[in-house]
Amino acid sequence: MPVKKGNSHYQFLAKKWTDRHRDLQSKIFTKHEESFKWFADNSKQLVVGSLAGIMLLTTPVLDKIPQAFSSGSAQVAQTIDKKVFLIYDLRKVLPSDVRALTPDEEKDVTTVLSRNFDFSIKAELEGKRLNTTYGIIGAEQHLARFPGDNMFTHFKNADDAQKYWSSGMAPGLGAWRYFTDASDALGVLTQEDIDREKYYIAVQTFLAPGFDSNTKEYTDFFKYRKMLVVNPQNGKAIVADIADAGPSPWTGKQLGGSPEVMSYLERFDGAQKGAVLYFFIDDPNDTIPLGPVNL
Amino acid sequence: MKHKFFYTHLIQITDVTIRLSELDLTEDEKNHLLSLMEANIHSAVIDTVLSELSKEDKKIFLQNLVSENHEKTWEHLKSRIEKLDVKITKAIENLKEDLIKDVLEAQKLSKESNS
Repeated sequence: MPVKKGNSHYQFLAKKWTDRHRDLQSKIFTKHEESFKWFADNSKQLVVGSLAGIMLLTTPVLDKIPQAFSSGSAQVAQTIDKKVFLIYDLRKVLPSDVRALTPDEEKDVTTVLSRNFDFSIKAELEGKRLNTTYGIIGAEQHLARFPGDNMFTHFKNADDAQKYWSSGMAPGLGAWRYFTDASDALGVLTQEDIDREKYYIAVQTFLAPGFDSNTKEYTDFFKYRKMLVVNPQNGKAIVADIADAGPSPWTGKQLGGSPEVMSYLERFDGAQKGAVLYFFIDDPNDTIPLGPVNL
Repeated sequence: MKHKFFYTHLIQITDVTIRLSELDLTEDEKNHLLSLMEANIHSAVIDTVLSELSKEDKKIFLQNLVSENHEKTWEHLKSRIEKLDVKITKAIENLKEDLIKDVLEAQKLSKESNS
């Protein structure tokens, strides 16, 4: 929105009150630094994963800043963690309860995500959509990638083993069975196979509108389909692929994440479970890598 | 105030908004300024409250604040801070005084640029 010529009173007040607010915040963090640091270290489940995110505690969601003003403040804006902006933007458009988004809400969320990520993000792709794009995520186990894959063959290095061992291996296979059919998979397991298991999610494909009437077409569509999964409370995002179907509706959860996905998003299961956004990525040429996305 | 907080019932900002309405502002500009005012009030209240709490109570307060359980936050603060409502009101009033001064200055600027 262009600022009218001569409305220097607006520019004056906006600058003055922005500066005042920044000074106040700075004063608060300096005075109570110890408490905020404690909170940042102990609140993974509550809201934020970084000290920058703590700023949200002392700032209610601001209304849209007129463009002419925000461009004048670009230098200030650039110094702030981009995730904070994403958190702000999503807070403005997401409902307070976790439920399927209305078409308008979904459109707003798509706009926010598309603005922050450099790829095409869609709630509906090729005429297909999931039962929801906003749901509670639960923890899944590691999946066997090839016949004979087990906890001792699964990890690339000792660090990964130490970090993700406790999740264990799922007793059954993923929705599309093994990630590679090769019997001597240790020799031919590709990086793509490894990543597809490492960054997989399980979604309720069976609840997708239209699934029952065209199961084969839908199953083929969902197989290893890339999705952007975002924790709206800390701004962390990951490109994941659909490799399993679930969880059952009675669990109260709408999707599941591999141990690696859950760890990166800082999401947990049980009493501490939380919500994520998950949207299709339109990547016909398969150029977008699976894994964490840096903002 | 657009957003509800544990102290919302103590806020009275009509005196600032009346003065703001005397300025020639677009709807977006007005909303932006109101948001900034809200953000300033929020920070002033948080600072006031944190300054009155012990180390342990600060932690409880921050957790309550993030959970957005305003009633719980208020009850906890009330049990820990004497004359809580008076202290918060005073912090808001002090800030409002400054904000009103700013608006008056802006009005003056506006008149100067129009003359």
